[in-house]
Amino acid sequence: MKSELAQVSVQPTSRLQLVKRQIYKERQLWLICIPMIIWVFIFSYLPMYGIIIAFMNYIPGKPIFSSDWVGLLHFKTFFHSPDFWNIIRNTLAISGLGIVFGFTAPIVLALLLNELRMKRFKRVIQTISYLPHFISWVVVASILFALLGNEGFINDMLLRLGIIHQPIAFLGEGKYFWGLLTTTNIWKDVGWATIIYLSAIAGVDTEQYDAGKVDGLGRFGMVWHITLPSIRPTIVLLFILGIGGILNAGFEQQLLIGNSQTREYHEVIDTYAYKYGIQLGNYSYGAAIGLLKSIIGLALVLGANRISKKTLDTSIL
Amino acid sequence: MSSLKMKPTIGSRIFDTCNVVFMLIFSFFMLYPFVNLLALSFNDGVDAARGGIYFFPRVFSLDSYKFLFQNDKLYSGLGISILRVVVGTTTCVFMTGLLAYVVTIRNFSGRKFMRILFLITMYFGGGLIPTYLLMVKLGLINTFNVYWIPGLLNAYYMLLMASYMEGLPESLFESARIDGASELRIYFKIVIPVSVPVFAAIAVFSAVGHWNSWFDVILYNSNGKWDTLQTYLRKLLLEVEALQQIQDAQVAYSKYRNISSSTLRAAVTMVVTLPIVCVYPFLQKYFVSGITLGSVKG
Repeated sequence: MKSELAQVSVQPTSRLQLVKRQIYKERQLWLICIPMIIWVFIFSYLPMYGIIIAFMNYIPGKPIFSSDWVGLLHFKTFFHSPDFWNIIRNTLAISGLGIVFGFTAPIVLALLLNELRMKRFKRVIQTISYLPHFISWVVVASILFALLGNEGFINDMLLRLGIIHQPIAFLGEGKYFWGLLTTTNIWKDVGWATIIYLSAIAGVDTEQYDAGKVDGLGRFGMVWHITLPSIRPTIVLLFILGIGGILNAGFEQQLLIGNSQTREYHEVIDTYAYKYGIQLGNYSYGAAIGLLKSIIGLALVLGANRISKKTLDTSIL
Repeated sequence: MSSLKMKPTIGSRIFDTCNVVFMLIFSFFMLYPFVNLLALSFNDGVDAARGGIYFFPRVFSLDSYKFLFQNDKLYSGLGISILRVVVGTTTCVFMTGLLAYVVTIRNFSGRKFMRILFLITMYFGGGLIPTYLLMVKLGLINTFNVYWIPGLLNAYYMLLMASYMEGLPESLFESARIDGASELRIYFKIVIPVSVPVFAAIAVFSAVGHWNSWFDVILYNSNGKWDTLQTYLRKLLLEVEALQQIQDAQVAYSKYRNISSSTLRAAVTMVVTLPIVCVYPFLQKYFVSGITLGSVKG
């Protein structure tokens, strides 16, 4: 292909002709690209344009521009809605717990797995730890119903051991929801999240460990002074992404595990937008909440990135 | 961990033992929920209501499975789920692979444009509601097509596949091009055969996603015609449906007196879970390398 290009440029031609000729040469590739461009335009760029309904009173079925412009009305309605603080609290609580426990758990597990001496044993444990990642939230909900129900394993055990005298309604009371969801999230993804850390650990230069040994570092010292600093870029990167996703407190989980009794504790921004936007047909309101959430998410990623650049000299951009 | 030999200290040995014990307990917690449901699904329904089934069924019974496998809804859900996985995964893998190939051809003038066009979609999107309204406009609501067309191309998968293909020697394609092979031919005859590991990794991600997805089914196919196995299980979880089906069954054939909503649910859960459980350990090498590729790419 390079030689063809050289040929083209030897001939005295205008720029436009050159471009034309280039495209003709690459016609096969462009023929492949055109359907892809159309696809991405329809399925990714049109919805971005559709966000403008957040500033309108969109009525389904009518052309978008025949709807009334309302400016920031939907945003104001959201801020003043009686559910607002409750939703913000739930969103931040669930993702905050996720960052504190869900973010650190895989790091600890990866370090412990790395210390296992029997390689085959380590592999088996790893395989087992990936299992919950591969099952759907519907199945997880089914498992929770079975384990935590009145006759379920947990209540049955607690009753037999005499710790409680009445079965606990784990799924029917809001106060258990945050803890339940955090535990379930960790159970589902802790093993999966170790993959990235283990590959980072595998990339650490073994000479560093030998040097550490010469310096008289014990096993704990090796982890603390060599392994952890070496995987710091990976940790920071995932942390920044986690901060950016702080408003993503889950969606399917809430819809599948939550119920009307736990609503006060499970309703998060996404489920609220779905409920009002689609189930109740208030499309513009739902779109406004979605837009607000993405803007805050973007600002958080950029902010966290800036801080980490300054303090830790690590950046994702 | 180290090339220098050293006698482990007592503290180090104690730690090793604790670590192994911890890992055993950890695996127990990962696996036990499945064991419990498996036991429940093989238990007699009436007996199961007494609780206390831990590892093995107390009163063994196959009634829940027998009932399930006489149920049309299960078969149609299973069929649609399989169809979705097959169609969705093949189309997504081959189309996204083609896109990845196009954006790795070094001398292609549109390479950068295509890359950026798709990368933008990773960071910006219309969100749930504009996307939903678009699907309504396109007439994709309550059709099978909504399962695969919107997922044809995926920017993240494109990045993974492209970063793998960039590691392939250019001469591989160059000689075929000089011989006059078309780009599609090069893609199918050369690129795919040498990129099997990354195609396999993406196929695993895509297939698991299709098998497990639930929300897009209730969002886009709410009329129930294209219900997948996941939606069927979900309906059973909403107790009422399960009870209704059992009552229907008991009226229809009195031999299924011994199933309950909890054993029926457990059986469906096993049917939904088992295909994945049986397959994923063999694909471990591929998905692990896929994730690792992604982390290098950042």
